[in-house]
Parts: sequence; structure tokens; C-alpha cells
Amino acid sequence: MQIGVRQNGTSTVVDVKGDIDLYNSPEVRKVILEELKEKKTPRVIVNLSGVRYIDSSGVASLVEGLKVSRTLASRFMLYGLSPAAREVLELSRLIRVFEVYGSEEEALRAQ
Amino acid sequence: MEDAVKLNFPSDPRYLGVVRGAIERFASLAGFDEEECRWITLAVHEALTNVIRHAYQNRHDQPVEVRLTERDGGIEVLLTDHGKGAKPEEMCGRAFEDLRSGGLGLHMIREIMDTTLYSPLEGRNELLLFKTKGSKTAAGE
Repeated sequence: MQIGVRQNGTSTVVDVKGDIDLYNSPEVRKVILEELKEKKTPRVIVNLSGVRYIDSSGVASLVEGLKVSRTLASRFMLYGLSPAAREVLELSRLIRVFEVYGSEEEALRAQ
Repeated sequence: MEDAVKLNFPSDPRYLGVVRGAIERFASLAGFDEEECRWITLAVHEALTNVIRHAYQNRHDQPVEVRLTERDGGIEVLLTDHGKGAKPEEMCGRAFEDLRSGGLGLHMIREIMDTTLYSPLEGRNELLLFKTKGSKTAAGE
């Protein structure tokens, strides 16, 4: 798995590529929480377009990001879900709690 | 000879991707369609994650065995570990929509597989999973 962070305006985009599972989800969690808690980023957008596979530990990392963002009154968004990643979020019935967009532009435009 | 494949590996999360590949291929050979193969692979992966986290408490050098068998129009998966056993009545997972991180894997396993049977035995734990071909997994229902 590869993870990168970049700025797009006042938003931070976290690009994730590869599989998110028990082996590497702690890294995803660390990067997301660092952006929210330490850098106080007002809007964190996670780009999942390169993620082929996500397991419950990966979903848990995203849930944690969402919870922290709510506490800090910042935004936490997802975009580019592959069919497999979408299926897992649907199975967990957590997809409705996330702000999910089709593209980065849509996420940036969202009020 | 029984149509079965046995995988033996250490309880190290870095091998999970390798094991997923083998499970997905086996399910495909057994005649499951692409979507079913993904679901079965996810269920077994979640069960293995629970073995590593809970039975072996994140020790990465403990033995895990997965036996995959074609049986009765479906796939049978038997996971064996030698770690700390759980009481079956305590394996309740958590309710969906509950924004906590733990217990989600167990719910996914139960949603996907037709049969989930956990047995803490003398010196080992077994988890038996079974899925019939054509029994759909209702994501998001």
C-alpha cells in the first residue's frame, strides 16, 4: 500500500493506493488522525480510487477519522470508491454515515 | 482423495494478502462467480484477522491453518488456531450503524457465510464456515 498527502486549496487530500487491511490500516489511521488532530485541517478528503480491497480494520480507520472530524467540527470525505470498497462499506452499513463523492472536484465543491 | 487445499502460515498480517489470493482462486475453481469469490475471501480474511488480533493477541509467529474444501454444492472453510479461545456467547460483534471500531468483522462474516460455527476445543480453536453457490450476500439491505 502507498499513502500520500497533498494540498488542494484549503483541503488536504489523502491518496491511498493498494489494499487496506490489518497489515497497513494503522498507517492509514495515523495519517488521517495527524491531519485532523495535529494539523487541524478543516477538510480531509480521502482518495480511495486506487484501493482494490478494504477490510474491517480499514473501515474502522475511516470511522475513527469521521468521529474525530465531528469532534473537531472539520469535514471528512471519501471519493473514488471501487466497486469492491463500496461493497464492503455497504455490507458494514456504514456507507450512509460517510460523505461519499464520485470525484475530487465534487468533494471540493461540496458545501 | 478429498478435493481440499490446506494452507499453513504464521499469524503475521503481512501474509494476509497471499492467503486472500489463494482463497479467491479456490472459490473461483469451485464455481463461484466473481462477486461471490470477493465476499468469501472477505469473510475468511476477517476470520483470520480475528485469529491474529484476539486468539493470538497480535503475536505474529503463531501457527494458523486454513482448509478449503468443495462440498455439497459449496465451499467449506475450516480455520484452526492454537491461541486463546473465546466463549461463543461472547462473540456477539456489534450492531451496524454503531460507530465503534470493533466487532465489525464478525458481523461481516455472518452476513456473508451461510454457516458460522465456532468451537473452542482442547488446545485449539476451530471456526467452520460454509457458503452454498448462489446464496447471495445482501450488501446494504
